[in-house]
Amino acid sequence: MADTPLINFASLVMMAVVPYLLASQGTMLAGRTGLFIVSQEGVMLVGASVGFLGAYLFDSLAAGMVLAMLAGGLFGVALAYFTTNLKMDQFVIGLALFFLGLGLSSLLFKIVVGVTLQPPIIPTLDRLPIPLLSEIPVLGPILFDQNILVYLSILLSLFLYFFLYKTSTGLSLRAVGENPKAADSLGVSVTRWRYATTIIGSMLMGLAGAYLPMVYTGTYTDGIVRGRGWLAIALTFFGGWSPQGILLGSFFFALVEILALRVQVTDIGLPHQFLRMLPYLATILVMVFAFRRVRAPAFLGQNYDRESRTSS
Amino acid sequence: MTNSQALRRESPAVGAARTLVPYVVAVLAAFAAVGILLALMGFDVMRAYATILGTSFRTPNGFVQTLIKWVPLVLQALAFTVPLAAGKFNIGGEGQMIVGGIGAAAVGITFSDLPLPLLLPLVMMAGMAFGALWVLGPAWLLYRFNINEILTTVLMNFVAFQLIDFVATSIWPDPAAGHPTTLPIGAGGKLPLLIAHPPLHSGILIAILAAILVYVYTDRTSAGYELLATGANPRASRVYGIKVRRMFFLSLLIGGALAGLAGAIEVSGVHGRLIEGFHSNFLLLGIIVGLIAKGNNAAVPFVALFIAILEVGASAMQRTMAIPGEMVFIVEALILIFVLLTDVVRRR
Repeated sequence: MADTPLINFASLVMMAVVPYLLASQGTMLAGRTGLFIVSQEGVMLVGASVGFLGAYLFDSLAAGMVLAMLAGGLFGVALAYFTTNLKMDQFVIGLALFFLGLGLSSLLFKIVVGVTLQPPIIPTLDRLPIPLLSEIPVLGPILFDQNILVYLSILLSLFLYFFLYKTSTGLSLRAVGENPKAADSLGVSVTRWRYATTIIGSMLMGLAGAYLPMVYTGTYTDGIVRGRGWLAIALTFFGGWSPQGILLGSFFFALVEILALRVQVTDIGLPHQFLRMLPYLATILVMVFAFRRVRAPAFLGQNYDRESRTSS
Repeated sequence: MTNSQALRRESPAVGAARTLVPYVVAVLAAFAAVGILLALMGFDVMRAYATILGTSFRTPNGFVQTLIKWVPLVLQALAFTVPLAAGKFNIGGEGQMIVGGIGAAAVGITFSDLPLPLLLPLVMMAGMAFGALWVLGPAWLLYRFNINEILTTVLMNFVAFQLIDFVATSIWPDPAAGHPTTLPIGAGGKLPLLIAHPPLHSGILIAILAAILVYVYTDRTSAGYELLATGANPRASRVYGIKVRRMFFLSLLIGGALAGLAGAIEVSGVHGRLIEGFHSNFLLLGIIVGLIAKGNNAAVPFVALFIAILEVGASAMQRTMAIPGEMVFIVEALILIFVLLTDVVRRR
């Protein structure tokens, strides 16, 4: 049984993958149609708050998840409307929605729960061991004895890979982000795709936020997302704006997060504050390599105006 | 008086009205939207708004509170708008402010025996230097590898949160304080008071000076014009011989120095020491100010004053009426969104 701590560690890493994976795949999906979301941190906070409150009020984690996704979806609708219909700057309105999410998440919690020293607690998400597979030594407990969102987020990544690269619909979607004019001339609706991917992407971010109280803390606290939304953007670049790259990269991000938490317990002489800097510094470092290697969607961050001659 | 004369005499007023009307509409719309929410929650909307808008003017203390809030707010806003002029987003003002505060505290504690004419300038310069230092990494990565500055600057904030915790608990901790706090800085490092009761520190003069200097630089010098040209059209600017990447780098460094100065003034003028969490939410409010002002550095101080009034009113409202202060943050975010919307309307 000498390898039990290691299995435990790997299992924690698998658990930590989920918020990065969901938020980053959402970012990627919208980015592939040219819409660069930068409100992740705010949408995830709203997801955490709404998800917690939903689970608390309806006594059901599933209800919390659905509500968190709906709340995220609303942010997606707003972002899509402001950028595609009104042609507002994607970064500026993205930041504005980030602020709105930041305020709303805290406000909702205070309105429903009130200011208390002892916040209510929801039960955390159960493990769902898969019969037979979870019996496999070593790999079983790491991969097949996890909560349902671990499985779903990995399946989602595989599905997105298949959808984007192996179907003609996925090809149309990618064309919107690479050359919207060409896509438009072939009858692919740029607006419709941007709406669809931004709403779905934001729903995934809402779910990513709801995961945090449901798995880690059992309650909502301000700043619960702790930069994971911003890290998810970095992960999207790191993963080369592809579902499979993001899936692989998310293990790295989760590993660094757990490492920073774990090593601090088993004191190695370095002040714990410096270990806690690790995820952010490591992310900056990997971006140096990712940015030189990776090509983002050609039209990322730009609005499409079908009457303009210059936006080709 | 001929018709044309009348037109000419009227035009500045009309111009001013044309600029101001969308702002008024945006503010009213945001207040209306949140007012409905407040009413639904069963609060006295009129009393809430009277508190939000009136607290700053009802007592001398309220007014001084507003001015004290204005100082870091205007500096954070400028830390955002200067890079924005070059088309770059500095979302790292929080970290730069914290590290600027650390620099100020380090100098103020280490050389605590120096007299005021020596120590105070050192404290302020340390704040600016440390703030600029904190953005040096992101600025260099942008300059050298063209790495997205939004991400790198924001990630450095989270690094700074840990750094201040380390400094306040391990390097110069004040064992008497219940919250991570450093020892006080030397008396010579503290900003003299302009008014004793209620206490108003002289950092406001530094902030006014900084705002004027930034305005003159960006709007009245050729170097500033190169900055604006870079932001307006980097490709064309490069053709005309402007070293675009150098402008990006420079603008971020100026932004970092301004945010660092905000940190130094808070340490030197308000707290007299470094306190974890002293950065409050000035970064977010500063970005909101900068975006509402649409990057116009002449407008930033006035927008910042308005937001400072709302913030002081918000704390009063939370105290006296038990309405969560976040309500005002929503008002501010909505004002921003509505200001952006009026832009769309005008474009049509």
